[in-house]
Amino acid sequence: MIGTQSPVTIGWENIPKVEGGPIKQFVFTWFQPTVLFALIAFWYYAPNSIAKTSTAIGIGIGFKVLLMGLEWVNPRYESWRLTWKELVTDLFYVGLGYTLLRMVDQYIGSDVIIENIQQSMHWDKFAWFIGLPLLVQALMISLIFDFGQYWMHRAMHNWYPLWLPHSVHHYITQLNINKGAVGNPVELFLIGIGIGGLFDFVPRAALLAGAIGLAIGTYQHINVRFNSPRWWRFLFNTTEHHSLHHSQDYEATRSNYSNTYIFIDRIFGTCIDGEAELLGMEGGRRMAIREQMTYPFTEGWKTIKERFGQRPAAVPAE
Amino acid sequence: MNTRFIDWIWHVSGTVALAPGQSGDDAFDQLDALFRQPGTTRQRTGDTLTFHKKDQLAQDKMSVFDGGVLRIENGADGPVLRYRLASRALLFCFLAPLLFLGIAQLTILQGNAWKAPDAAKKAAAKKADVPMNPIDKALGAPAPEKPAKKGADKPGGKNKKPSPTPAYVFAGLFATLYLVGRLLEARLLKALFEKRLAGQ
Repeated sequence: MIGTQSPVTIGWENIPKVEGGPIKQFVFTWFQPTVLFALIAFWYYAPNSIAKTSTAIGIGIGFKVLLMGLEWVNPRYESWRLTWKELVTDLFYVGLGYTLLRMVDQYIGSDVIIENIQQSMHWDKFAWFIGLPLLVQALMISLIFDFGQYWMHRAMHNWYPLWLPHSVHHYITQLNINKGAVGNPVELFLIGIGIGGLFDFVPRAALLAGAIGLAIGTYQHINVRFNSPRWWRFLFNTTEHHSLHHSQDYEATRSNYSNTYIFIDRIFGTCIDGEAELLGMEGGRRMAIREQMTYPFTEGWKTIKERFGQRPAAVPAE
Repeated sequence: MNTRFIDWIWHVSGTVALAPGQSGDDAFDQLDALFRQPGTTRQRTGDTLTFHKKDQLAQDKMSVFDGGVLRIENGADGPVLRYRLASRALLFCFLAPLLFLGIAQLTILQGNAWKAPDAAKKAAAKKADVPMNPIDKALGAPAPEKPAKKGADKPGGKNKKPSPTPAYVFAGLFATLYLVGRLLEARLLKALFEKRLAGQ
């Protein structure tokens, strides 16, 4: 039964609306679709001299700074307010993502794996893909990628060796813009392994796919109250969905696995529409960075010892 | 170097005057809610309160601090609360720029050993041009560039020579955040104690 361990809100009709005057209501209703379509139009029409990865990185950073401003103006929950300590912790992980992980990725990351597969499987036969309309390419890339993410994420919640590195991310007790980066670095390799890169595509299509992911996926971790339009929340993952996924209630966490397209969850029966304020594991214990780094290994070692170690009394398997 | 300065890096101390007529016990009673938080242990002996925090919640008003001592003392103008608290978060943030400077050095080392990938050359030789779908042409999207250096254009820029710039940016960011945090958190703490002692 959902909500037996910690309070959750189920059903869109029970979720609070944006409070304030008509201008505020308008802004926080139409902000999300406007940004999505504006970004798509930008990447579709931007001249080749602008349509580059460096522009995408710049837009990504600018967008996050803007959203931090919105968190300040219109927070979803006071208890999720960004504090100095939370910001420092989050940025530490963002920093690792931009530096150390990128460095290591060059040797053992998904790029290397994909390159090897491409070389051995003659994936060049998929070159027809680049003749498709740009938006079709972009949608296919982001859909295929999200489909891979969905199953990887679901596997993380269902197979103990994958759960160990992912569990660290579930110790966050509030949602803020950079919380998506918080987790054990081992997990970040796992989540980076997608199959979208197998296809040959026009760089612009990939930038478009990235922009779609940015304009939808970013809202998973954010402390802003939006009146997302009905079609938006039917198709896309929202803060509401993802807060349930991070709830302290175990049953609620077994839902809403996709990154971008919540309809993938709807198809496979794992979507729950609702939200939660109380987040985390073990009743909301906040894990310090040191433990976040070592937890999967220490916890895994404990489990191995319990299973295979010499013990006088029998121990239940699960 | 002056040890007081080293201490200042991750210790916050100060004094707050008690309200007229307020006893030490009254003052600690007013502050008690701050120490009745998950992961917090406290001990009161006479005019001294010692506390420790472990795995404190993000929502804890004193989550930046991991432990400390609060003491009621007699000041020139009456009793005051003197406090000295330690924060691992401040120390961590102080050291973080060093970590990122180290990462920048590693990136430079990696860049020295970096060679342009061969795959990019092969791919460039094979493909003469990139087709453009008629729909995109009709809608007015810019024509795709010829993939002269296929690997180099790829999103994420993974095939580019590694650059230490992001590590330098983060080192600067954490240095700034440290200064902001050290000043801000000390002020917030003082304001929090003053507010609680005034019974608000």
